[in-house]
Amino acid sequence: MNAIDRRIFLKLAGAAGLAGISGALPSAYAADETALSKAKAEGKAVFYANITSVKAIMKAFNADTGIDGIYTRLSSSKFLPTILTESGAGKLLADVVQAPRPMLELLNEKKVLAPYHSPAAAGYPDWATKDAGITLFGIEYVSYLYNKDHVKETDAPKRYEDLADPKWKGKIVMANPATHSSTISWLVGLKEFVFKSEADWMQYLKGLAANQPMFVDSFGPTPAPVESGEKLIGISMPKYIITKAPAPLAWGPRGGQPLLGTPRAIGVAAHAPHPNAARAFMDFWLSKKAMSLLAKDVGEYVLAPGVFPPIDGIDKVKVMPVRDLSDSEIQKWGHEFGQIFAAK
Amino acid sequence: MNPSRPKLTWLLIAIVGFLTLCPVAMLFIGSFSQGLTAFGKFTLDKYLAAYTDPVLLDVTINTIVFVLGSSILATGLALFLAYLNTRTNIPFKPLFTVLSIVPMMIPHLLFSVSWALLLNPSNGLINSFLKEVFSLQSAPFNIYSLPGMILVEGLLNMPIAYLIIAPAMASFDVSLEESSRVFGASVWRTLVRVTLPVLRPAILAAFVLGMVRSLASYAVPRVLGTPGRVDVLATYLYQMVATGFSPDYGKAAALGMSVLAASIGLIVLYRALTSESGKYVTISGRGYRPTTIELKRARMPLFTLVALLSFVMAVLPVAVLFYTSLVPYSMVPSARAFSLMGWKNWIDVLQDPASLLSLKNSLFLAVVGASLGVLLSIFVAYVIVKIRTRASGLLESLSFLSFSFPGIVIGIGFMWFFVQTPLYATLTALLVAYIATYLPYGVRPLASAFVQVHAHLEESSLVCGASALTTMRRVIVPLLIPGIVSAWILMATMFVRELTVSVVLSRPGSEVLAVQILSFADDGLWGKLSALGIIMILISTTLVLLAMYAGKKFRAAQGA
Repeated sequence: MNAIDRRIFLKLAGAAGLAGISGALPSAYAADETALSKAKAEGKAVFYANITSVKAIMKAFNADTGIDGIYTRLSSSKFLPTILTESGAGKLLADVVQAPRPMLELLNEKKVLAPYHSPAAAGYPDWATKDAGITLFGIEYVSYLYNKDHVKETDAPKRYEDLADPKWKGKIVMANPATHSSTISWLVGLKEFVFKSEADWMQYLKGLAANQPMFVDSFGPTPAPVESGEKLIGISMPKYIITKAPAPLAWGPRGGQPLLGTPRAIGVAAHAPHPNAARAFMDFWLSKKAMSLLAKDVGEYVLAPGVFPPIDGIDKVKVMPVRDLSDSEIQKWGHEFGQIFAAK
Repeated sequence: MNPSRPKLTWLLIAIVGFLTLCPVAMLFIGSFSQGLTAFGKFTLDKYLAAYTDPVLLDVTINTIVFVLGSSILATGLALFLAYLNTRTNIPFKPLFTVLSIVPMMIPHLLFSVSWALLLNPSNGLINSFLKEVFSLQSAPFNIYSLPGMILVEGLLNMPIAYLIIAPAMASFDVSLEESSRVFGASVWRTLVRVTLPVLRPAILAAFVLGMVRSLASYAVPRVLGTPGRVDVLATYLYQMVATGFSPDYGKAAALGMSVLAASIGLIVLYRALTSESGKYVTISGRGYRPTTIELKRARMPLFTLVALLSFVMAVLPVAVLFYTSLVPYSMVPSARAFSLMGWKNWIDVLQDPASLLSLKNSLFLAVVGASLGVLLSIFVAYVIVKIRTRASGLLESLSFLSFSFPGIVIGIGFMWFFVQTPLYATLTALLVAYIATYLPYGVRPLASAFVQVHAHLEESSLVCGASALTTMRRVIVPLLIPGIVSAWILMATMFVRELTVSVVLSRPGSEVLAVQILSFADDGLWGKLSALGIIMILISTTLVLLAMYAGKKFRAAQGA
């Protein structure tokens, strides 16, 4: 081992030791100096993702391995067309890709992903690592946020059903349930995991629709009207409590109901331009250190054991992945929700 | 006809055709292909699916109202402001000239959000103020509505119309109006019978450009239409590609073909309405001098009105942005908000390497892209206006091709095309795509300026032995300076804030400002978004002032 490699090795190992975590370091690479030096020689790992605010992880990856992590954000609507177009032309620039699970499953079917089981995913739930080319590392968890300057905790909705209370008429903001895939999946998830019967669920939907929520086109624009007091409640993601701090946001339901969301997935590209760096990045991403950064700085709900976002009460609630809906199911339910909410 | 002209026409058709046809051809193929990328098995399913949706009728009606309303508002306002700023002795003209084009420099997303903060029915600042002052029970205005969308889109497109109409107004030969007045016509009759008809090409150019622009507009319908449940074609197309995990751009392209047909129809109509271009020639020699009209007693009331308009159009939204950049999260002004104010968002943005790189890239694209774009536009406009053959009609239609699609769709077309070339994922790809997409911004003001330059000037130069290029450089271009300045400003400011094409084409190393802004928007970081937006406005304003200064110096040098 040359001096630089040894230093990096010791630095990484030290970081793992300091964190007191077995997987804090890219485990395969910490143990395999040849692989790490190959990855370092490749210089960079290009990461196509639709997750946001991951600058801290890219920085830590660079600091810990000496490899540049280059992040390109591809929103959901451009994710598959971009990767499939590049891949079809033999010009896929990405080494590692990240998106909701259904998107990566499609890429897996098209042989765009390589099978890779990262040792850093040890301890993740079985359902997160069962696919050869895909590892699940988090859940895009959805609940509701409310403005605690305008709504007292005692008056805040305690259960999902409370959102249908007429007292919230004209005071809710949500992503358009006719078109926003994650909201559609979440609403179907409520039927399957929360409500006792389809009739109860339908009654809830109609009550929510009668409250005439204001629509925006995704989760991103949901917190701003709640922060400013334009609306009092947003069907949104609790992670905004972290990223929008010190905004007066609080989350619910706090009555024991689970939080649901689409699983977040990651995979290595089959023809990655930097294959060793790709695996090093994957190992780092799934490590407890990176997942802790994602939870702490971004408020993400991650699957690394024992890691939780610093949001009051989130470690006590059950967070569950919703079932993957096919595109035809999403279209079908989107149309149905469009009718119920008179979205069109 | 000069024998070099057909050659020039076909050379330009080849260049512009290459720039604009490639992505459109890829979209055309995509609209008939199975699968998500441009190439696949042939199918008509995407057309069937796109055109049989019952919602399409409502969407079409909304779109027509939105497009016509905003274009009429933009053109009307531009005409009013351009007349006062270029032809009258209204005070503070240079200031109002800059303020008239400020809305164009604000990213559309931010401009729409600013208006939502001002006029939303729950706690919009203007609504709250009016409710308090007049003790109203409910908010008097709702920005989340079709009229609200028309207002904001009209204000955003007004500068484009202004930059097309103002140069034509500035070069207007006042002797025509004076003759009318000498023969006893009133001011109003002179305006209706002389001034407006002579300005018809510029007015129609502004109107047509506004229509095509609002047809493709996405930010205003997204921010204001979606909450108001008013869908127009752009949001409908976006929903079409965004619903589900595997978006089908071919289906959007299938619908986009109708937008393209509508745009080409508008261009044909425009050409028919301005076919007798000789009627609009007002600069036939070096002796013309636009004169200033004394407003007399109307001066101060009109000044107040323009000041109010400028305040509402430019100052208020920018002030809202500035305020938002100083507060830690979205909050209405209050004692608490003021106590929490600070420069954190600004410091974060200015210390962010990605933001700094995107600033550098956007500046390069604006300066180099606009200069190349204007150069190409001069030749294209010349052929369109001065050589009115079928081939020049084809050239005009080609120049509008990629502009007619919603940006997100044309962006995918460019990606499908560039990925087949070595340019993929480079800054050059963005440069080419920008020029191809925004060519009408260069061509329109130059075409309306060309219309007013008499062929005798060019012919005299050619008769005296000058080459076509020398004639262009020494005779035509100096007369076109106001148009060139307008075209450069339009293109440069557009390139500084270009989003829809960039978001698809930009890759590591070729990030641009608007993409950086969008990533802040996706994270809901409105403070950083506003800080970067103001930096963007400052850059655009500097470019505008430099272009105006350069144009003025050049004209002074020519006149000396």
